[in-house]
Amino acid sequence: MSLLTSARPAAGPTRDGRGPAPSRPAPRRPDVYRVLSRVLIAVLVVVQVYPLLWLFLSSVRTEQDFASASPFSLPNSFTLDNFARAFDHADLGRYILNSLIVTLGADALIVVCGLMGAYALQVLGFRFSNVVRGLFLLGIVVPVQIALVPLFIDYAKVGLLDTYPSMMIPLAGFGLPMSLYLFSSFFGYIPRETYEAASLDGAGPYRIFARITLPLSVNTIVTVVMVNSIFIWNDFVFANTFVLSEGLKTIPVGLQNYIGAMGKTDWTATFAGVCVTVTPLLLVFLVLNKAMIYGLESGATKG
Amino acid sequence: MLPSRSRLSVAVFLIPPLLLYGAAVLLPIVQSLALSFFTWDGISDMRFAGFSNYTFMFTDGDFWTAVTNQLGYLVVCLVLQLGGGLLVASLLMSLTKGRELVKVLYLLPAVISTVAIALLFQRIYSLDPAGPLNRFLGLVGLESLERPWLSDVHTVLAAVSAPEGWRFVGLYTVIIYAALLTVPRELEEAARLDGANQWQVFTRIRFPYIGPVWLTTSVMAFTYAMRGFDIPYLLTNGGPGQSSELVTTYMYKTAFLSTDYGYASAMSVFIVVESLVAVGLILFVLRRKAV
Repeated sequence: MSLLTSARPAAGPTRDGRGPAPSRPAPRRPDVYRVLSRVLIAVLVVVQVYPLLWLFLSSVRTEQDFASASPFSLPNSFTLDNFARAFDHADLGRYILNSLIVTLGADALIVVCGLMGAYALQVLGFRFSNVVRGLFLLGIVVPVQIALVPLFIDYAKVGLLDTYPSMMIPLAGFGLPMSLYLFSSFFGYIPRETYEAASLDGAGPYRIFARITLPLSVNTIVTVVMVNSIFIWNDFVFANTFVLSEGLKTIPVGLQNYIGAMGKTDWTATFAGVCVTVTPLLLVFLVLNKAMIYGLESGATKG
Repeated sequence: MLPSRSRLSVAVFLIPPLLLYGAAVLLPIVQSLALSFFTWDGISDMRFAGFSNYTFMFTDGDFWTAVTNQLGYLVVCLVLQLGGGLLVASLLMSLTKGRELVKVLYLLPAVISTVAIALLFQRIYSLDPAGPLNRFLGLVGLESLERPWLSDVHTVLAAVSAPEGWRFVGLYTVIIYAALLTVPRELEEAARLDGANQWQVFTRIRFPYIGPVWLTTSVMAFTYAMRGFDIPYLLTNGGPGQSSELVTTYMYKTAFLSTDYGYASAMSVFIVVESLVAVGLILFVLRRKAV
Protein backbone atom coordinates (compact mmCIF):
# COMPACT_ATOMS: atom_id res chain seq x y z
CA MET A 1 0.00 0.00 0.00
CA SER A 2 2.98 2.29 0.40
CA LEU A 3 2.82 2.71 -3.33
CA LEU A 4 -0.44 4.52 -2.89
CA THR A 5 0.40 6.65 0.06
CA SER A 6 3.98 7.73 -0.64
CA ALA A 7 3.46 10.65 -2.99
CA ARG A 8 0.13 11.83 -1.78
CA PRO A 9 0.84 15.34 -0.67
CA ALA A 10 -1.11 16.96 2.11
CA ALA A 11 -3.53 14.10 2.28
CA GLY A 12 -1.94 13.40 5.60
CA PRO A 13 -2.30 10.36 7.75
CA THR A 14 -5.78 11.17 8.96
CA ARG A 15 -7.19 10.79 5.46
CA ASP A 16 -6.31 7.14 5.50
CA GLY A 17 -7.92 6.70 8.86
CA ARG A 18 -4.59 5.49 10.17
CA GLY A 19 -3.88 8.78 11.82
CA PRO A 20 -2.89 9.27 15.41
CA ALA A 21 -5.13 7.07 17.48
CA PRO A 22 -7.49 9.18 19.56
CA SER A 23 -5.59 9.85 22.75
CA ARG A 24 -8.49 9.63 25.10
CA PRO A 25 -7.89 9.53 28.81
CA ALA A 26 -8.20 6.02 30.22
CA PRO A 27 -11.88 5.21 30.74
CA ARG A 28 -12.96 5.84 34.28
CA ARG A 29 -15.62 3.18 34.28
CA PRO A 30 -16.34 0.12 32.15
CA ASP A 31 -17.38 2.02 29.11
CA VAL A 32 -20.97 1.07 28.28
CA TYR A 33 -20.91 3.09 25.08
CA ARG A 34 -17.87 1.29 23.88
CA VAL A 35 -19.32 -2.18 24.40
CA LEU A 36 -22.65 -1.13 22.98
CA SER A 37 -21.15 0.48 19.93
CA ARG A 38 -19.03 -2.59 19.24
CA VAL A 39 -22.06 -4.85 19.35
CA LEU A 40 -23.93 -2.47 17.06
CA ILE A 41 -21.03 -2.34 14.60
CA ALA A 42 -20.91 -6.12 14.54
CA VAL A 43 -24.65 -6.36 13.90
CA LEU A 44 -24.44 -3.83 11.09
CA VAL A 45 -21.46 -5.61 9.54
CA VAL A 46 -23.56 -8.76 9.48
CA VAL A 47 -26.39 -6.89 7.74
CA GLN A 48 -23.97 -5.52 5.16
CA VAL A 49 -22.03 -8.69 4.50
CA TYR A 50 -24.53 -11.47 5.13
CA PRO A 51 -26.38 -11.23 1.80
CA LEU A 52 -23.09 -11.54 -0.05
CA LEU A 53 -21.94 -14.41 2.11
CA TRP A 54 -25.26 -16.10 1.50
CA LEU A 55 -24.75 -15.66 -2.22
CA PHE A 56 -21.35 -17.34 -2.09
CA LEU A 57 -22.46 -20.13 0.21
CA SER A 58 -25.50 -20.87 -1.94
CA SER A 59 -23.33 -21.22 -5.01
CA VAL A 60 -21.53 -24.25 -3.55
CA ARG A 61 -24.65 -26.00 -2.22
CA THR A 62 -26.40 -28.80 -3.96
CA GLU A 63 -29.85 -27.92 -5.21
CA GLN A 64 -31.56 -30.20 -2.71
CA ASP A 65 -29.64 -28.69 0.19
CA PHE A 66 -30.44 -25.16 -1.04
CA ALA A 67 -34.13 -25.94 -1.31
CA SER A 68 -34.52 -27.76 1.98
CA ALA A 69 -32.07 -26.30 4.51
CA SER A 70 -32.58 -23.03 6.34
CA PRO A 71 -30.87 -20.18 4.51
CA PHE A 72 -29.05 -19.34 7.73
CA SER A 73 -27.39 -22.68 8.20
CA LEU A 74 -24.01 -23.55 6.79
CA PRO A 75 -24.12 -25.70 3.67
CA ASN A 76 -24.46 -29.40 4.40
CA SER A 77 -22.97 -30.19 1.06
CA PHE A 78 -20.20 -28.85 -1.08
CA THR A 79 -20.27 -28.99 -4.84
CA LEU A 80 -18.78 -27.20 -7.80
CA ASP A 81 -21.39 -28.59 -10.21
CA ASN A 82 -23.25 -25.28 -10.08
CA PHE A 83 -20.25 -23.55 -11.62
CA ALA A 84 -20.02 -26.13 -14.34
CA ARG A 85 -23.71 -25.68 -15.16
CA ALA A 86 -23.33 -21.90 -15.08
CA PHE A 87 -20.50 -22.05 -17.62
CA ASP A 88 -22.45 -24.52 -19.73
CA HIS A 89 -25.53 -22.38 -20.00
CA ALA A 90 -24.00 -18.94 -20.29
CA ASP A 91 -21.07 -17.58 -22.18
CA LEU A 92 -19.50 -16.19 -19.00
CA GLY A 93 -16.01 -16.01 -20.46
CA ARG A 94 -17.20 -13.83 -23.31
CA TYR A 95 -19.12 -11.52 -20.95
CA ILE A 96 -16.06 -11.09 -18.76
CA LEU A 97 -13.87 -10.37 -21.78
CA ASN A 98 -16.36 -7.76 -23.05
CA SER A 99 -16.58 -6.11 -19.66
CA LEU A 100 -12.80 -6.02 -19.52
CA ILE A 101 -12.55 -4.39 -22.96
CA VAL A 102 -15.19 -1.77 -22.13
CA THR A 103 -13.72 -1.04 -18.70
CA LEU A 104 -10.15 -0.70 -19.97
CA GLY A 105 -11.23 1.41 -22.93
CA ALA A 106 -13.36 3.77 -20.89
CA ASP A 107 -10.72 3.98 -18.15
CA ALA A 108 -8.07 4.87 -20.73
CA LEU A 109 -10.28 7.63 -22.13
CA ILE A 110 -11.00 8.94 -18.66
CA VAL A 111 -7.37 8.96 -17.58
CA VAL A 112 -6.00 10.55 -20.77
CA CYS A 113 -8.75 13.17 -21.05
CA GLY A 114 -8.86 13.76 -17.31
CA LEU A 115 -5.12 14.36 -17.08
CA MET A 116 -5.13 16.65 -20.10
CA GLY A 117 -8.15 18.63 -19.02
CA ALA A 118 -6.93 19.05 -15.47
CA TYR A 119 -3.52 20.13 -16.78
CA ALA A 120 -5.12 22.76 -18.98
CA LEU A 121 -7.42 23.99 -16.22
CA GLN A 122 -5.15 23.80 -13.22
CA VAL A 123 -1.59 24.20 -14.50
CA LEU A 124 -1.81 26.11 -17.78
CA GLY A 125 -4.83 28.21 -16.90
CA PHE A 126 -6.76 30.43 -19.30
CA ARG A 127 -9.26 33.22 -19.25
CA PHE A 128 -12.51 31.26 -19.25
CA SER A 129 -11.29 28.35 -17.16
CA ASN A 130 -14.06 28.91 -14.61
CA VAL A 131 -16.73 28.60 -17.28
CA VAL A 132 -15.22 25.31 -18.44
CA ARG A 133 -15.01 24.08 -14.86
CA GLY A 134 -18.68 24.94 -14.42
CA LEU A 135 -19.58 22.96 -17.54
CA PHE A 136 -17.82 19.92 -16.16
CA LEU A 137 -19.51 20.34 -12.78
CA LEU A 138 -22.82 19.92 -14.60
CA GLY A 139 -21.81 16.39 -15.56
CA ILE A 140 -21.41 15.35 -11.93
CA VAL A 141 -24.99 16.24 -11.20
CA VAL A 142 -26.91 15.41 -14.36
CA PRO A 143 -28.24 11.83 -14.31
CA VAL A 144 -26.95 9.50 -17.01
CA GLN A 145 -30.47 8.60 -18.18
CA ILE A 146 -30.90 11.89 -20.01
CA ALA A 147 -28.27 10.78 -22.52
CA LEU A 148 -30.05 7.57 -23.48
CA VAL A 149 -32.53 8.80 -26.07
CA PRO A 150 -30.27 11.35 -27.81
CA LEU A 151 -27.30 8.99 -27.89
CA PHE A 152 -29.45 6.15 -29.18
CA ILE A 153 -30.60 8.36 -32.06
CA ASP A 154 -27.08 9.70 -32.73
CA TYR A 155 -25.52 6.25 -32.64
CA ALA A 156 -28.14 4.94 -35.04
CA LYS A 157 -27.23 7.75 -37.45
CA VAL A 158 -23.46 7.26 -37.36
CA GLY A 159 -23.56 3.48 -37.09
CA LEU A 160 -22.19 3.22 -33.57
CA LEU A 161 -25.09 1.21 -32.16
CA ASP A 162 -24.02 -2.22 -31.04
CA THR A 163 -20.30 -1.49 -30.79
CA TYR A 164 -17.83 -1.26 -27.89
CA PRO A 165 -17.45 2.53 -28.30
CA SER A 166 -21.21 2.97 -27.85
CA MET A 167 -20.68 1.92 -24.24
CA MET A 168 -17.23 3.44 -23.70
CA ILE A 169 -18.08 6.97 -24.84
CA PRO A 170 -20.95 7.72 -22.43
CA LEU A 171 -19.30 5.83 -19.56
CA ALA A 172 -16.10 7.83 -20.04
CA GLY A 173 -17.98 11.08 -20.61
CA PHE A 174 -19.96 10.79 -17.41
CA GLY A 175 -16.93 9.57 -15.45
CA LEU A 176 -14.76 12.42 -16.69
CA PRO A 177 -16.00 15.31 -14.49
CA MET A 178 -15.24 13.65 -11.15
CA SER A 179 -11.89 12.36 -12.42
CA LEU A 180 -10.94 15.73 -13.79
CA TYR A 181 -11.78 17.14 -10.42
CA LEU A 182 -9.59 14.59 -8.61
CA PHE A 183 -6.66 15.27 -10.96
CA SER A 184 -7.13 19.04 -10.58
CA SER A 185 -7.02 18.91 -6.83
CA PHE A 186 -3.94 16.71 -6.97
CA PHE A 187 -2.19 19.08 -9.40
CA GLY A 188 -2.92 21.87 -6.96
CA TYR A 189 -0.42 20.26 -4.58
CA ILE A 190 2.50 20.27 -7.01
CA PRO A 191 4.55 23.33 -6.02
CA ARG A 192 4.68 26.22 -8.47
CA GLU A 193 8.46 26.37 -8.10
CA THR A 194 8.84 22.96 -9.71
CA TYR A 195 7.24 24.29 -12.88
CA GLU A 196 9.08 27.58 -12.78
CA ALA A 197 12.43 25.83 -12.44
CA ALA A 198 11.58 23.56 -15.36
CA SER A 199 10.52 26.55 -17.44
CA LEU A 200 13.78 28.32 -16.74
CA ASP A 201 15.58 25.23 -17.96
CA GLY A 202 13.72 25.66 -21.22
CA ALA A 203 10.98 23.04 -20.85
CA GLY A 204 7.75 23.85 -22.65
CA PRO A 205 4.22 22.87 -21.56
CA TYR A 206 4.39 19.49 -23.32
CA ARG A 207 7.72 18.51 -21.84
CA ILE A 208 6.60 19.61 -18.37
CA PHE A 209 3.47 17.52 -18.72
CA ALA A 210 5.40 14.44 -19.81
CA ARG A 211 8.33 14.78 -17.45
CA ILE A 212 6.86 16.26 -14.28
CA THR A 213 3.08 16.15 -14.05
CA LEU A 214 2.50 12.71 -15.53
CA PRO A 215 5.10 10.80 -13.49
CA LEU A 216 3.92 12.45 -10.26
CA SER A 217 0.29 11.49 -10.97
CA VAL A 218 0.68 7.72 -10.90
CA ASN A 219 -1.05 7.29 -7.54
CA THR A 220 -3.94 9.53 -8.51
CA ILE A 221 -4.29 7.57 -11.74
CA VAL A 222 -4.64 4.36 -9.73
CA THR A 223 -7.33 6.01 -7.60
CA VAL A 224 -9.21 7.35 -10.61
CA VAL A 225 -9.08 4.00 -12.39
CA MET A 226 -10.30 2.18 -9.29
CA VAL A 227 -13.25 4.44 -8.61
CA ASN A 228 -14.33 4.51 -12.24
CA SER A 229 -13.81 0.81 -12.89
CA ILE A 230 -16.38 -0.05 -10.28
CA PHE A 231 -19.04 2.00 -12.00
CA ILE A 232 -18.03 1.00 -15.51
CA TRP A 233 -17.71 -2.72 -14.78
CA ASN A 234 -21.17 -2.69 -13.24
CA ASP A 235 -22.85 -0.48 -15.80
CA PHE A 236 -26.19 -1.86 -16.81
CA VAL A 237 -28.10 0.98 -18.41
CA PHE A 238 -25.79 1.91 -21.31
CA ALA A 239 -24.92 -1.68 -22.13
CA ASN A 240 -28.57 -2.66 -22.02
CA THR A 241 -29.67 0.21 -24.25
CA PHE A 242 -26.94 0.36 -26.88
CA VAL A 243 -25.91 -3.27 -27.30
CA LEU A 244 -28.13 -5.92 -28.78
CA SER A 245 -25.90 -8.66 -30.13
CA GLU A 246 -24.96 -11.55 -27.90
CA GLY A 247 -21.28 -11.26 -28.80
CA LEU A 248 -20.91 -7.78 -27.28
CA LYS A 249 -22.82 -8.26 -24.05
CA THR A 250 -21.04 -7.29 -20.87
CA ILE A 251 -21.43 -9.06 -17.56
CA PRO A 252 -24.46 -7.18 -16.18
CA VAL A 253 -26.50 -7.56 -19.36
CA GLY A 254 -25.36 -11.11 -19.96
CA LEU A 255 -26.23 -11.99 -16.40
CA GLN A 256 -29.63 -10.42 -16.75
CA ASN A 257 -30.41 -12.48 -19.84
CA TYR A 258 -29.11 -15.59 -18.20
CA ILE A 259 -31.38 -15.02 -15.21
CA GLY A 260 -34.30 -14.41 -17.51
CA ALA A 261 -33.59 -17.68 -19.26
CA MET A 262 -33.11 -20.01 -16.34
CA GLY A 263 -32.78 -18.14 -13.05
CA LYS A 264 -36.22 -18.90 -11.75
CA THR A 265 -35.56 -22.60 -11.78
CA ASP A 266 -31.86 -23.14 -11.28
CA TRP A 267 -30.98 -20.84 -8.40
CA THR A 268 -27.71 -22.44 -7.36
CA ALA A 269 -26.28 -22.29 -10.88
CA THR A 270 -27.47 -18.70 -11.16
CA PHE A 271 -25.70 -17.83 -7.93
CA ALA A 272 -22.59 -19.58 -9.16
CA GLY A 273 -22.71 -17.48 -12.31
CA VAL A 274 -23.12 -14.31 -10.26
CA CYS A 275 -20.16 -15.30 -8.09
CA VAL A 276 -17.97 -15.83 -11.14
CA THR A 277 -18.83 -12.39 -12.45
CA VAL A 278 -18.49 -10.39 -9.22
CA THR A 279 -15.27 -12.05 -8.07
CA PRO A 280 -12.72 -10.28 -10.34
CA LEU A 281 -13.75 -6.81 -9.26
CA LEU A 282 -14.12 -7.90 -5.65
CA LEU A 283 -10.54 -9.20 -5.62
CA VAL A 284 -9.18 -6.03 -7.19
CA PHE A 285 -11.15 -4.01 -4.66
CA LEU A 286 -9.82 -6.01 -1.72
CA VAL A 287 -6.25 -5.47 -2.92
CA LEU A 288 -6.60 -1.81 -3.87
CA ASN A 289 -9.36 -0.64 -1.54
CA LYS A 290 -7.21 2.20 -0.18
CA ALA A 291 -7.05 3.78 -3.62
CA MET A 292 -10.80 3.61 -3.92
CA ILE A 293 -11.56 4.79 -0.40
CA TYR A 294 -9.17 7.69 -0.88
CA GLY A 295 -10.87 8.69 -4.12
CA LEU A 296 -14.33 8.53 -2.62
CA GLU A 297 -13.32 10.54 0.43
CA SER A 298 -11.55 13.27 -1.44
CA GLY A 299 -14.26 13.42 -4.06
CA ALA A 300 -16.77 14.48 -1.48
CA THR A 301 -14.86 16.13 1.32
CA LYS A 302 -12.71 18.48 -0.68
CA GLY A 303 -15.76 19.86 -2.47
CA MET B 1 -0.14 29.82 -14.87
CA LEU B 2 2.81 28.17 -16.53
CA PRO B 3 5.32 30.82 -17.76
CA SER B 4 5.99 29.11 -21.07
CA ARG B 5 2.46 28.13 -22.01
CA SER B 6 0.88 29.21 -25.25
CA ARG B 7 -2.65 29.50 -26.50
CA LEU B 8 -2.01 26.52 -28.74
CA SER B 9 -0.86 24.32 -25.86
CA VAL B 10 -4.00 25.15 -23.88
CA ALA B 11 -6.10 24.14 -26.86
CA VAL B 12 -4.14 20.92 -27.38
CA PHE B 13 -4.77 19.83 -23.81
CA LEU B 14 -8.34 21.06 -23.57
CA ILE B 15 -9.85 19.89 -26.83
CA PRO B 16 -9.79 16.08 -26.34
CA PRO B 17 -11.59 16.17 -22.96
CA LEU B 18 -14.10 18.72 -24.24
CA LEU B 19 -14.82 16.60 -27.32
CA LEU B 20 -15.46 13.50 -25.24
CA TYR B 21 -17.53 15.36 -22.68
CA GLY B 22 -19.40 17.29 -25.33
CA ALA B 23 -20.30 14.17 -27.29
CA ALA B 24 -21.37 12.16 -24.27
CA VAL B 25 -22.93 14.73 -21.96
CA LEU B 26 -23.42 18.25 -23.33
CA LEU B 27 -24.79 17.39 -26.76
CA PRO B 28 -27.38 14.92 -25.39
CA ILE B 29 -28.63 17.54 -22.92
CA VAL B 30 -29.15 20.03 -25.76
CA GLN B 31 -30.71 17.34 -27.94
CA SER B 32 -33.10 16.31 -25.19
CA LEU B 33 -34.25 19.87 -24.88
CA ALA B 34 -34.82 20.11 -28.64
CA LEU B 35 -36.53 16.72 -28.92
CA SER B 36 -38.90 17.56 -26.11
CA PHE B 37 -40.67 20.00 -28.45
CA PHE B 38 -41.32 17.35 -31.08
CA THR B 39 -43.46 14.29 -31.52
CA TRP B 40 -41.39 11.46 -32.89
CA ASP B 41 -41.49 7.69 -32.84
CA GLY B 42 -38.08 7.30 -34.44
CA ILE B 43 -39.48 6.11 -37.77
CA SER B 44 -41.99 8.57 -39.24
CA ASP B 45 -41.25 12.27 -39.68
CA MET B 46 -40.65 14.47 -36.67
CA ARG B 47 -43.51 16.84 -35.98
CA PHE B 48 -43.10 20.07 -34.08
CA ALA B 49 -45.37 19.89 -31.07
CA GLY B 50 -44.62 23.04 -29.13
CA PHE B 51 -45.22 22.58 -25.44
CA SER B 52 -47.70 19.75 -25.88
CA ASN B 53 -45.32 17.15 -24.43
CA TYR B 54 -44.99 19.30 -21.35
CA THR B 55 -48.68 20.02 -20.99
CA PHE B 56 -49.32 16.29 -21.35
CA MET B 57 -46.66 15.56 -18.74
CA PHE B 58 -48.28 17.84 -16.19
CA THR B 59 -51.65 16.17 -16.62
CA ASP B 60 -50.33 12.60 -16.92
CA GLY B 61 -51.40 10.69 -13.82
CA ASP B 62 -48.78 7.99 -14.41
CA PHE B 63 -46.07 10.61 -14.45
CA TRP B 64 -47.17 12.04 -11.13
CA THR B 65 -47.37 8.57 -9.61
CA ALA B 66 -43.77 8.13 -10.73
CA VAL B 67 -42.80 11.47 -9.19
CA THR B 68 -44.45 10.55 -5.90
CA ASN B 69 -42.75 7.15 -5.93
CA GLN B 70 -39.43 8.80 -6.65
CA LEU B 71 -39.91 10.90 -3.52
CA GLY B 72 -40.57 7.77 -1.47
CA TYR B 73 -37.54 6.12 -3.03
CA LEU B 74 -35.52 9.21 -2.15
CA VAL B 75 -36.65 9.17 1.48
CA VAL B 76 -35.80 5.50 1.99
CA CYS B 77 -32.41 5.89 0.31
CA LEU B 78 -31.49 9.05 2.18
CA VAL B 79 -32.52 7.70 5.58
CA LEU B 80 -30.55 4.49 5.02
CA GLN B 81 -27.52 6.08 3.43
CA LEU B 82 -27.12 9.28 5.42
CA GLY B 83 -28.62 8.05 8.68
CA GLY B 84 -26.85 4.72 8.41
CA GLY B 85 -23.63 6.37 7.27
CA LEU B 86 -23.63 8.84 10.14
CA LEU B 87 -24.44 6.13 12.69
CA VAL B 88 -21.73 3.76 11.54
CA ALA B 89 -19.15 6.52 11.09
CA SER B 90 -19.79 7.72 14.65
CA LEU B 91 -19.57 4.19 15.97
CA LEU B 92 -16.31 3.70 14.11
CA MET B 93 -14.81 6.64 16.02
CA SER B 94 -15.02 4.65 19.23
CA LEU B 95 -13.34 1.66 17.67
CA THR B 96 -9.60 1.44 18.27
CA LYS B 97 -8.77 -1.59 16.14
CA GLY B 98 -10.10 -2.91 12.88
CA ARG B 99 -11.53 0.33 11.51
CA GLU B 100 -10.01 -0.28 8.12
CA LEU B 101 -11.47 -3.77 7.98
CA VAL B 102 -14.93 -2.54 8.93
CA LYS B 103 -14.74 0.19 6.28
CA VAL B 104 -13.84 -2.35 3.62
CA LEU B 105 -16.61 -4.73 4.70
CA TYR B 106 -19.14 -1.92 4.53
CA LEU B 107 -18.00 -0.95 1.07
CA LEU B 108 -18.27 -4.47 -0.32
CA PRO B 109 -21.87 -4.14 -1.59
CA ALA B 110 -20.91 -1.02 -3.54
CA VAL B 111 -18.61 -3.18 -5.67
CA ILE B 112 -21.36 -5.61 -6.70
CA SER B 113 -23.29 -4.93 -9.90
CA THR B 114 -26.91 -3.86 -9.64
CA VAL B 115 -27.95 -6.92 -11.62
CA ALA B 116 -26.40 -9.21 -9.04
CA ILE B 117 -27.96 -7.16 -6.25
CA ALA B 118 -31.38 -7.27 -7.88
CA LEU B 119 -31.11 -11.02 -8.25
CA LEU B 120 -29.95 -11.41 -4.67
CA PHE B 121 -32.79 -9.35 -3.25
CA GLN B 122 -35.36 -10.97 -5.45
CA ARG B 123 -34.43 -14.18 -3.69
CA ILE B 124 -34.14 -12.58 -0.24
CA TYR B 125 -37.66 -11.12 -0.50
CA SER B 126 -39.22 -14.24 -1.93
CA LEU B 127 -42.12 -15.84 -0.04
CA ASP B 128 -42.51 -19.09 -1.90
CA PRO B 129 -39.99 -20.62 -1.46
CA ALA B 130 -39.33 -18.54 1.65
CA GLY B 131 -36.25 -16.37 1.28
CA PRO B 132 -33.99 -15.23 4.12
CA LEU B 133 -36.14 -12.22 5.05
CA ASN B 134 -39.37 -14.16 5.52
CA ARG B 135 -37.49 -17.01 7.20
CA PHE B 136 -35.95 -14.54 9.61
CA LEU B 137 -39.33 -13.01 10.46
CA GLY B 138 -40.60 -16.52 11.13
CA LEU B 139 -37.65 -17.28 13.37
CA VAL B 140 -38.16 -14.22 15.58
CA GLY B 141 -41.89 -14.79 15.86
CA LEU B 142 -43.11 -12.13 13.44
CA GLU B 143 -44.86 -14.55 11.08
CA SER B 144 -47.65 -12.02 10.65
CA LEU B 145 -45.24 -9.80 8.72
CA GLU B 146 -44.25 -12.47 6.23
CA ARG B 147 -45.35 -11.47 2.76
CA PRO B 148 -44.25 -11.43 -0.89
CA TRP B 149 -42.48 -8.10 -0.51
CA LEU B 150 -42.12 -7.42 -4.21
CA SER B 151 -45.67 -8.19 -5.28
CA ASP B 152 -47.44 -6.48 -2.39
CA VAL B 153 -48.32 -2.98 -3.56
CA HIS B 154 -47.90 -1.62 -0.04
CA THR B 155 -44.34 -2.84 0.44
CA VAL B 156 -42.90 -2.91 -3.06
CA LEU B 157 -41.65 0.67 -3.13
CA ALA B 158 -39.78 0.27 0.15
CA ALA B 159 -38.54 -3.13 -1.02
CA VAL B 160 -36.98 -1.76 -4.21
CA SER B 161 -35.55 1.27 -2.41
CA ALA B 162 -33.86 -0.62 0.42
CA PRO B 163 -31.26 -2.43 -1.74
CA GLU B 164 -30.09 0.89 -3.20
CA GLY B 165 -29.76 2.31 0.30
CA TRP B 166 -28.07 -0.82 1.59
CA ARG B 167 -25.63 -0.79 -1.28
CA PHE B 168 -24.20 2.65 -0.61
CA VAL B 169 -24.26 2.86 3.18
CA GLY B 170 -20.54 2.08 3.12
CA LEU B 171 -19.79 4.87 0.69
CA TYR B 172 -21.35 7.51 2.91
CA THR B 173 -19.90 5.93 6.03
CA VAL B 174 -16.41 6.29 4.58
CA ILE B 175 -16.97 9.92 3.60
CA ILE B 176 -18.56 10.97 6.88
CA TYR B 177 -15.93 9.09 8.83
CA ALA B 178 -13.16 10.94 6.98
CA ALA B 179 -14.86 14.19 7.97
CA LEU B 180 -15.27 13.14 11.59
CA LEU B 181 -11.53 12.47 11.79
CA THR B 182 -10.88 16.14 11.10
CA VAL B 183 -12.76 17.30 14.20
CA PRO B 184 -10.07 18.72 16.50
CA ARG B 185 -9.49 16.52 19.54
CA GLU B 186 -9.00 19.57 21.75
CA LEU B 187 -12.60 20.68 21.17
CA GLU B 188 -13.93 17.30 22.21
CA GLU B 189 -11.59 17.09 25.21
CA ALA B 190 -12.61 20.54 26.38
CA ALA B 191 -16.28 19.64 26.09
CA ARG B 192 -15.70 16.43 28.00
CA LEU B 193 -13.88 18.29 30.77
CA ASP B 194 -16.91 20.55 31.01
CA GLY B 195 -18.93 17.42 31.69
CA ALA B 196 -20.45 16.78 28.29
CA ASN B 197 -21.54 13.21 27.67
CA GLN B 198 -21.06 11.24 24.48
CA TRP B 199 -24.36 12.42 23.01
CA GLN B 200 -23.65 16.06 23.77
CA VAL B 201 -20.17 15.82 22.28
CA PHE B 202 -21.78 14.47 19.16
CA THR B 203 -24.62 16.96 18.82
CA ARG B 204 -22.76 20.07 19.96
CA ILE B 205 -19.22 19.52 18.64
CA ARG B 206 -18.81 16.78 16.07
CA PHE B 207 -21.92 17.21 14.01
CA PRO B 208 -21.76 21.00 13.69
CA TYR B 209 -18.07 20.71 12.81
CA ILE B 210 -18.68 18.34 9.92
CA GLY B 211 -21.68 20.41 8.77
CA PRO B 212 -20.24 21.40 5.37
CA VAL B 213 -19.25 17.82 4.47
CA TRP B 214 -22.62 16.62 5.71
CA LEU B 215 -24.38 18.99 3.35
CA THR B 216 -22.21 18.02 0.39
CA THR B 217 -22.83 14.38 1.20
CA SER B 218 -26.56 15.01 1.43
CA VAL B 219 -26.64 16.68 -1.95
CA MET B 220 -24.57 13.85 -3.39
CA ALA B 221 -26.88 11.20 -1.95
CA PHE B 222 -29.84 13.21 -3.16
CA THR B 223 -28.66 13.48 -6.75
CA TYR B 224 -27.64 9.81 -6.82
CA ALA B 225 -31.03 8.73 -5.53
CA MET B 226 -32.70 10.96 -8.13
CA ARG B 227 -31.06 8.91 -10.86
CA GLY B 228 -32.03 5.58 -9.28
CA PHE B 229 -32.99 3.22 -12.06
CA ASP B 230 -31.29 -0.15 -12.24
CA ILE B 231 -32.64 -1.89 -9.17
CA PRO B 232 -36.33 -0.94 -9.52
CA TYR B 233 -36.15 -1.63 -13.25
CA LEU B 234 -34.59 -5.05 -12.73
CA LEU B 235 -36.50 -6.10 -9.63
CA THR B 236 -40.05 -5.19 -10.60
CA ASN B 237 -39.89 -3.15 -13.81
CA GLY B 238 -42.03 -0.56 -12.05
CA GLY B 239 -44.73 -2.99 -11.07
CA PRO B 240 -46.98 -4.39 -9.83
CA GLY B 241 -49.09 -1.87 -11.71
CA GLN B 242 -47.32 1.43 -11.20
CA SER B 243 -46.50 0.95 -7.55
CA SER B 244 -42.72 1.05 -7.93
CA GLU B 245 -42.46 3.16 -11.08
CA LEU B 246 -39.86 5.93 -10.88
CA VAL B 247 -39.53 8.90 -13.22
CA THR B 248 -36.44 7.27 -14.69
CA THR B 249 -38.06 3.88 -15.33
CA TYR B 250 -41.16 5.57 -16.75
CA MET B 251 -38.98 7.64 -19.05
CA TYR B 252 -37.07 4.55 -20.17
CA LYS B 253 -40.24 2.66 -20.99
CA THR B 254 -41.72 5.66 -22.78
CA ALA B 255 -38.61 5.94 -24.92
CA PHE B 256 -37.74 2.35 -25.68
CA LEU B 257 -41.02 0.45 -25.33
CA SER B 258 -43.56 3.05 -26.50
CA THR B 259 -40.89 4.75 -28.67
CA ASP B 260 -42.31 8.15 -27.84
CA TYR B 261 -39.00 10.01 -27.97
CA GLY B 262 -40.53 13.44 -27.63
CA TYR B 263 -42.39 12.74 -24.41
CA ALA B 264 -39.42 10.80 -23.01
CA SER B 265 -37.22 13.81 -23.74
CA ALA B 266 -39.62 16.12 -21.94
CA MET B 267 -39.24 13.87 -18.91
CA SER B 268 -35.45 13.98 -19.36
CA VAL B 269 -35.63 17.75 -19.27
CA PHE B 270 -37.70 17.50 -16.09
CA ILE B 271 -34.98 15.32 -14.56
CA VAL B 272 -32.24 17.75 -15.66
CA VAL B 273 -34.13 20.68 -14.13
CA GLU B 274 -34.44 18.74 -10.89
CA SER B 275 -30.70 18.12 -11.01
CA LEU B 276 -29.96 21.77 -11.69
CA VAL B 277 -31.91 22.64 -8.58
CA ALA B 278 -29.49 20.30 -6.82
CA VAL B 279 -26.53 22.11 -8.41
CA GLY B 280 -27.99 25.31 -7.06
CA LEU B 281 -28.04 23.69 -3.66
CA ILE B 282 -24.39 22.63 -3.99
CA LEU B 283 -23.30 26.14 -4.97
CA PHE B 284 -25.35 27.59 -2.15
CA VAL B 285 -23.73 25.18 0.28
CA LEU B 286 -20.22 25.83 -0.98
CA ARG B 287 -20.72 29.56 -0.74
CA ARG B 288 -21.89 29.23 2.82
CA LYS B 289 -18.88 27.07 3.55
CA ALA B 290 -16.52 29.71 2.20
CA VAL B 291 -17.95 32.46 4.39
